[in-house]
Amino acid sequence: MISKTRINHHKKSGKFNLTYRNTWLLWCCQIINIASLSLAISSWMLAILALCLCWQALLINVKFNNKEKTLFSPILLTTFALSGCVAIAITASSLGVLLSMVHLLAFAYSLKAFEIKQRKDFYQLILLGLFLLASSLIFKQSLVFSIFIILALILNLVSLQQVFSPNKSLWASTKTVTLLLLQSSLLAIVLFVIFPRLSPFWQVPNAKSAQTGLSDEVSPGDIANLALSSDLAFRVDFKGSKIPRYSQLYWRAMTLEQYDGRKWFRTKTNKKNNLSKQPFKPLITGESIDYDVIVEPNYQFWLFGLTVATTTDPSLVLKQDYTIQSRNVLSQISHYKLKSYLQAPLEPIISDESKQRNLTINLGSNPRLEKLALTLKQKFPNPVDRSKAVLTFFREEQYFYTLKPPLLINNSLDQFFFDTKAGFCVHYASTYAYLMRAAGIPARVVTGYLGGEYNASSVPNSSQLTPQGGHLSVYQYDAHAWAEIWLAGIGWQRVDPTAAVDPQRVESGWSNALLAQQSLLNNDFVGLYQLKNIAWLNALRLQLDALDYQWTRWVLGYSNQQQYDLLTRWFGNNMPWKTGAIVLLSLIIMMILITLIYRINFKKLRRKKVSPWLQYYQQTLEKLTKKGLIKPMNMTPSCFAQQVALKFPKLSKDFFELTKNFECLSYQNLSISEQEILLVRLHNNYLKIKSNLD
Amino acid sequence: MNLFSSILSKKTQTTKTLLKKHVNRWLSRRVPSNFRHKLSNRNIFIMPTRFGFAYLLFDILLFLLGTNYQNNIILLLSYLLASLFITVMMHSFYNFSQLIFSSSAKQFTFAKQLAYFPINIHVDKARFDLNFHFVEQGSLLHTITLERCGSGESKVLLPFLANHRGVFNVGRVKVFSEYSLGLFITWTMLDFSHQLVVFPQQKKFNSNHHYLTGLDEQGTNISQQTSLGVDDFDELKNYVAGESPARIAWKQLARGQGKLSKHYQNQQGSLLWLKLTDMPSSDIETKLSFLCFLILEYSSRELEFGLLLDLASHNLQTVKIMPNCGYQHQQNCLITLAELKFNVVG
Repeated sequence: MISKTRINHHKKSGKFNLTYRNTWLLWCCQIINIASLSLAISSWMLAILALCLCWQALLINVKFNNKEKTLFSPILLTTFALSGCVAIAITASSLGVLLSMVHLLAFAYSLKAFEIKQRKDFYQLILLGLFLLASSLIFKQSLVFSIFIILALILNLVSLQQVFSPNKSLWASTKTVTLLLLQSSLLAIVLFVIFPRLSPFWQVPNAKSAQTGLSDEVSPGDIANLALSSDLAFRVDFKGSKIPRYSQLYWRAMTLEQYDGRKWFRTKTNKKNNLSKQPFKPLITGESIDYDVIVEPNYQFWLFGLTVATTTDPSLVLKQDYTIQSRNVLSQISHYKLKSYLQAPLEPIISDESKQRNLTINLGSNPRLEKLALTLKQKFPNPVDRSKAVLTFFREEQYFYTLKPPLLINNSLDQFFFDTKAGFCVHYASTYAYLMRAAGIPARVVTGYLGGEYNASSVPNSSQLTPQGGHLSVYQYDAHAWAEIWLAGIGWQRVDPTAAVDPQRVESGWSNALLAQQSLLNNDFVGLYQLKNIAWLNALRLQLDALDYQWTRWVLGYSNQQQYDLLTRWFGNNMPWKTGAIVLLSLIIMMILITLIYRINFKKLRRKKVSPWLQYYQQTLEKLTKKGLIKPMNMTPSCFAQQVALKFPKLSKDFFELTKNFECLSYQNLSISEQEILLVRLHNNYLKIKSNLD
Repeated sequence: MNLFSSILSKKTQTTKTLLKKHVNRWLSRRVPSNFRHKLSNRNIFIMPTRFGFAYLLFDILLFLLGTNYQNNIILLLSYLLASLFITVMMHSFYNFSQLIFSSSAKQFTFAKQLAYFPINIHVDKARFDLNFHFVEQGSLLHTITLERCGSGESKVLLPFLANHRGVFNVGRVKVFSEYSLGLFITWTMLDFSHQLVVFPQQKKFNSNHHYLTGLDEQGTNISQQTSLGVDDFDELKNYVAGESPARIAWKQLARGQGKLSKHYQNQQGSLLWLKLTDMPSSDIETKLSFLCFLILEYSSRELEFGLLLDLASHNLQTVKIMPNCGYQHQQNCLITLAELKFNVVG
C-alpha cells in the first residue's frame, strides 16, 4: 500500500490554513467557550460577541466557497475593536475589575479569531479559549457545569488535534483526546489530593455579585419573592446521626429587632463595643447534635445553624442574638462544623436596653392592631395565654397562606390582619411580633430557612422514615420568617404563626397547592411541582443532587485542613519528601501504564485478523528482515522465494516449501483437515528456517 | 564599532561551525549510517515546542488563578492539563517509536532540478503527521508531510534540490512529527548514505551558435528537413582522428589553416564527436552545460556520438568515450560530466 503523499510547500513558510471542517469546529469552540461565561458577561457584550461570531461565519462561508467578494475590512475590524474596548472601559467602574477583565478576555478572544494567519495565531486562540473556560469556573463550580467544562475542553483539544491529523474523523479525534485526558487523570487526581494547597499569593478582585438569599431587611413581600427560586442555599450533613424532625429544623440566619413601620432590620451594634467584648458563650444544656454545613456562595456573611449553635471554628463569630457570622464574605462554597443544643434556653436574662428595644413600636402606625393588643392584654394577663390567643385567631379565622399576597398600602399590618387576610410567612411573623410588642411582650422577627429536603440517594438501605445518613438540601424556597417572644424565666421562645395558618408547611414542607402556585408564578415548563409529582423524575433529581453533594463535599470543599488530615491518616507525619515521592511514583505509574497500553495494542493488532499461516509467514519475514532481506510489498511470495534462494542458498529448500504451503493455505479452498496437515508442514518449515537463521 | 561587530559575527560563526561539527560527530556515533533504521529511544529526540512552553506557562497561570481564588476546580483543571503535557509527551514518543525506515537509492538529476529519493516506511500501527526533509535543504521548502501513515508499507518520495554539478552524499534525512497536540516535537536524523549524481544544467545554444548542434532552432534535425541524399556542405571543423580522409578540407590545409574536415548537413551514419573545446564559452561549467544539452539532444534522436573532453588546461587527463548510442551510453557520458572535478585555481 503506497500512501498518498502531499508536498506541503507552505507548511512552514508562514501561510497556515485550517481545513474547512476544522474552521467550523473552531467556530463552535468559540461559541461554547463564550457560552460558558454567559452568566458573567453582560448582555450588551454578549450581543457584540454574537455579532462577531456571525461575521466570522459569513467570512468562513465566503472563503471556502471561493466567492470573489470579500467581507473583511481591517478598518471596520479596528473600529469595532476600539469601540468595544471603549465600551468596556466606560462600564468598568460598574462591572468591577474581575468582570471587566472577563469582558476584555472574551472580546479579545472573538477578535483574535479574525486573523489566523500563522500557526502561532491559532495556538494563541486555543490557549485563550482554554483560559476562558477556566475563568468561567470562578463563577460556577457545580458538578454539571464542571462536566460541561470538561466536554468543552475535549472539543477545544480536538480542534487542536485536527491540525496535526486533518484526515482523521472527528469521532476518532474525540476518542484520542478523551483517551489522553483519561490517561492524564490519574496523575491529576494524585496531584489534587496530595499537592500542598497554597494560600493566595496576592489579593485578587472578586466578582461584584449581587447578594443572594436572605437580606438583613425584611418587609412583608420579600420572602415570597425569594420562595420562587429553586436555587440551593446550603446543605447539611448530620454525619450518620439521627436527623431532627422537620418541624425542628429552623435554620437561624438573622435576628431582626428593629421595626420602622415598614420593614424589620437588624440592630446595628457599635463596632468599638464589639471589640471590647468577650466572645459570646451561649448557655448550653441537653443533648447535642453535630453537623457539617456547606454553604453555596451568597456574597454575605450570614451562616445558618440550629439554635443554639456553638462552634470551635476560629473563622466564625457567634453573635449575642444566637446567629453566626463568617469573618469573610461567602464568595465561594464554604464548609463549617457546628454543634447544636436544641433544648438549651436562649438568653433567660436580658438587659433592660434589649427589653426596651424589643417592645418598641411606632405608636399609631397600626391603630387597629394596637387596640386589639390592649384588649388582649386585659383579657389574658398571662403572656403565654396572650400569645396563644393570637395564634388561635390565625388558625380559626379565614387566613390564607399564599405566595402572591395582595399588595398592602404602606406595608400596613392593619390592612393585612383585618382586610386582606392573605400573606406569606413574613406577614404572619411581623404581625404577630407587632401584636406582642403592643401587648407588652418583648418580641422580634427571626429569618432563616425551615426544613430542607432529605436526600438518602447516596446511602444504601435507608428510608425516608428513619432518616439516617444522607444529607439535607436547603433551597431558597425554604426561606422562612418566624417570631420569638421573651418570657421571664424561659428566655426567648420560638413561635411560628405560620404553623397556625398552614401546618403542613411547618410539619413537612410545601403543600402541593403552594408548589403549583410557585410553578405558575415562575412560568416554568417543568417546575418543581411537576418534578416532585413524577416519581422517576424526582428520583433522578434526588440522585443528581446526591452526586452534586458528594462533588461539593469532596472536591469543592477539599480544603487545606482536610488535606492535612487525610495525608496524616494515610502516610503518618506529613513531610515534603513524601509528597514528592508520591508524585514521582504516580508519574512513573502513569508512564508505565501508557507504555503497557501501547504494547498491548501492538500485540492485539498482530493477533487480530491474521490467520495462523500468515502469522508463520510474517514471522519468517521478520527474521529475514533482521538479516537484511526485506520483502517488497508488491512482490509475490514465489518471486521473493527466488530472491531468498539467491541470498541464502542454505534456506532455499525450506523457504520454497514454506512458500508453497503458505500459498496453498491462502489461496485454495481447503477442508479443515487438509488445512491442519498443511499447517503442521508449514510449522516444520518455519522451525527449520528459524534454527538455520539463528 | 563596525569592525568589532564584524569580528564578533565571525567569532560566532566559527563557534557555530565548531558546534555543528561536534554535533555531527556525536550524531554519527549515535545514529550511524544504515540503509534501514528502526526508531527507538536511541535515535528519537524529543523536545517541547514553543507552543509547548507557552502551554506550560499558561498552565502555571492557571495554577496561580486557582490558588488565588482558592478554587479547587481550577486547580484540578491545571493539574489535569499539566499531566496531559506528560501524557502527550509519551504519545508523541510512541507515535514515533517502532517506525522502520528503509532507503538505499542512488539518484541522478540535473543541476537546479529536484531529485526524488524513495523512502519506505514500515509501521505496525497507524501513525500521524510524519514530516520529512533533508537536513541540508532546510525545512522551509521540500518538506513532505504524511498526514496519516497506515499500518503496513508506505513510501514517500523525498525531493532534493541539486544546486551544483557533482557527486554528493546528500546527508541526513530529518523526520519529525508534532502529533498529537503540537506540544512536543519528536524528530530523528537518519543517514541512509544517499548518493546523488548531479549532471550539469542543460544549456541551449544561442541561435548564432546553432550550427554546432546540427539542429535547427525548433530543435528538429536539419538533416531531416533538407531533402535526403543531397549532401550540402555546411561547415568546417577541426579534424578528429578517425574521420574519413575524404572529408579533409584539402584547400584549407593547403592554405595552412590546419587540418579541417568538411561537414555536411546530412551526417546520418557518420560518427560525431562532442568536444569540450568546441563549446562556445570560456567558462568550463558553461561548456559542460552545453555538452550536457547536446548529449541529451543526440540521444533523443538516437544519433551515434562520442565524447571527448580535452582537459589538459586543467592538468587532467583527457577523457574519451567512444561513439555509441542508447540510454546506457547517454548515462555514461552524463556521469562522466558529473564526476569531473577541477582544482580551483587561486
